Amino acid sequence: MIVAAKKPIEEIIEQVKGLRSVLVLGCNECVTVCEAGGKKEVGVLASALRMYFLQQGREVNVGEHTLERQCDTEYLEEIRNNIDAYEAVVSLACGVGIQFTAERYPSKPVYPGVNTCFMGAALERGVWAERCQGCGSCILASTGAVCPVTRCAKRLLNGPCGGSTAGKCEISKDVDCAWQLIVDRLKTLGRLEDYETLCPVKDWSTDRAGGPRKVIREDLRS
Amino acid sequence: MALKQKFDAGKFVILAEMEPPKGVDGSAMVSHAKRVKERVDAFFIPEMNHAVMRMSALGGAMLLQREGMETIMQICCRDRNRLALQGDLLAAGACGVANIAVVDGEDPSYGDHHQARPVHDINTLELLNAIQGLKEGRDLAGVEITGSPAFLAGSTTHAGARGRSTELELEEIERRSEAGARFFVTPPVFDPELIRPFLQRMDSRRTILIPTVLLLKSLGMARYMERNMPHIFLPPAIIERIQRAPDKVRECVRIAIELVSALKAQGVKAVMLSTLGWEHKLADIVEAL
Repeated sequence: MIVAAKKPIEEIIEQVKGLRSVLVLGCNECVTVCEAGGKKEVGVLASALRMYFLQQGREVNVGEHTLERQCDTEYLEEIRNNIDAYEAVVSLACGVGIQFTAERYPSKPVYPGVNTCFMGAALERGVWAERCQGCGSCILASTGAVCPVTRCAKRLLNGPCGGSTAGKCEISKDVDCAWQLIVDRLKTLGRLEDYETLCPVKDWSTDRAGGPRKVIREDLRS
Repeated sequence: MALKQKFDAGKFVILAEMEPPKGVDGSAMVSHAKRVKERVDAFFIPEMNHAVMRMSALGGAMLLQREGMETIMQICCRDRNRLALQGDLLAAGACGVANIAVVDGEDPSYGDHHQARPVHDINTLELLNAIQGLKEGRDLAGVEITGSPAFLAGSTTHAGARGRSTELELEEIERRSEAGARFFVTPPVFDPELIRPFLQRMDSRRTILIPTVLLLKSLGMARYMERNMPHIFLPPAIIERIQRAPDKVRECVRIAIELVSALKAQGVKAVMLSTLGWEHKLADIVEAL
């Protein structure tokens, strides 16, 4: 999933403090799972904003709504009839949802309520970790399903650097060395010979090197 | 007299683009430069133009500087992060490079290493500010450095390019000027009238506009540019002129010479001659000026 973290309330207040009405818009997908922008967080942020405006002696209409997805035009239509009641939107979706909302409602200011962090998974309650950088050319088949592009600080594709010590990365003793994980995993799978195969210089044109990316499926286009 | 003093004195300055070799043999580059060095004020050394891998601009600048020729070293944000950029700027300063031109750099997809990952850790404006900082004795992390470079910094502008707003370009020039850029190199100009609004509104004591005069090599090249480079205005009259000329190369050289003269007459304080691999033709141009 896409993992996001709540923005500090002070930063959100700075964006909306001059408004007379604002809609806090949540998303039921990834940001709900990582507890940054679902219905519950919409309620918490809306209450915090109401309290702020109350303290300022200002009457501001703070609305709440949570869509099934903000990255889908179909669901974004749900707010078409009431969005004009608000001067602006604070979206708690990931960066995709925020931009898609803004594209759908071109004249409405849309502010981010979260910091979109990475594609990852929950290690335990309250701890999420990055697992994929969307490089567009997956090499997990040869690395025992451990991604060196994501998990190696230097994105090294042919073994560890000299900074790998006792299975930990040189940037922090709390970070596993991706290549230690890969070697351990290949050993477990009985495929250590894969480690001997040199990975060619990576083609980064499928990453961000070629600019903003698109996936086009002609068979699905109407 | 160094380039900066020439700019300060308002002298008409001729720059020549001199691309470093794709390899370690710099003899052709040096001999082309030597042939025209008396008539060229400084050589402009691009940093892997169009993302084609070749010797770095620092290396190219060194080849000419050690032969006593002044250079403007281009530095681009595509291939290095802030550490490497500042490190190479210090190296350039220590090796005698006095002039730096900052650009963002074309995307690797334009070049011959299209699978490369671009860096763009900082952009042109931020790098200009970093240069300003180094000149004042501090790096981007705010740490004091030992010995500051005395660079004359510059950048590029799309002045004279088709499809660009004059107002926005002037605003960008101003922003970069505030960040320390003194000179601004344009894309190839074939119609001097297009840069007139810039000359009228730029204070040449503070910011120097340097139109690029590109030597066309053939009718095919002119037609290709006209069809495929919409930002460059190539007047039909120029294409017709090459078409009619019995000696097309000589005509192209004449066009370049006339363009320099027309730009000079218009009040331009500097031009950059770009010959894209035809550096052996530079002498024909500069000797006629």
